Amino acid sequence: MPEPRVISPKTAAKGEIFQIRSLITHQMETGLRRDEAGAVIPRKIINEFVCRYNGETVFRVELHEAMAANPYLEFYVRADESGTLEFTWAEDGGAVFSTSRDLTDT
Amino acid sequence: MTDARIRLRITRRAVLSAAGLAGIAAAAPRLAFAEEEETSLLTGLFGMLPAPSDRVRLDMPPKFSSGYTVPLDLTITGPMTDAAYARAVHVLAPRNPLFRVAIFHFTPANGEARVSTRIRLAQPQHVIAVAEMSDGPLLMARAWVEVESDGCA
Repeated sequence: MPEPRVISPKTAAKGEIFQIRSLITHQMETGLRRDEAGAVIPRKIINEFVCRYNGETVFRVELHEAMAANPYLEFYVRADESGTLEFTWAEDGGAVFSTSRDLTDT
Repeated sequence: MTDARIRLRITRRAVLSAAGLAGIAAAAPRLAFAEEEETSLLTGLFGMLPAPSDRVRLDMPPKFSSGYTVPLDLTITGPMTDAAYARAVHVLAPRNPLFRVAIFHFTPANGEARVSTRIRLAQPQHVIAVAEMSDGPLLMARAWVEVESDGCA
């Protein structure tokens, strides 16, 4: 079962640019490998990551087959206001995984 | 010929044909072909050649043992204002069986157009980053990475 993991600060000064580190455990099956019988193992990857801040999308990534397994994304957000950061990962086939973190502006 | 190689040829040929350069590319000498191949790929994807720019900082290790998880640090320098920011940055690995790596969509709310991640590389190559700036320009940079194992296998 894919497991999201996020490291994000609980507080930030207003206007401060802070770092978010995100990861989801996932095989990121490329569709290029074959099993022992020789059949192609179908592609199944996380194809999109979105970070929303109080409902507004601040960062979005389209992931393709050349992203590594257990996709890791380290990025930055400017602390404009207190609220909630939501992180979602969409998988081929429609499953969505998510987690969130609260942020307090100081 | 292995499946991965067949897939590579089909992928590249599709792009080269679209750019109308398949005949010329097939006849070109080996060294020049690598450059023409990159040019054809970029013009096929973007309709024009992005301009190399120091503002696009693609930092990757020149040599790395595992092709399965190669670190990539990307920064588009300069202020992120509502008027001018890096709206989308495409990362490509032209010598992978499937050359698309990711597209990063930044907004001014990031504060910095900067991301670190890890990618798969099938063989030594130039990884390419193309930044679409919100005010129009297409900027690019490339980084040579010599991987010692095939991360797509």
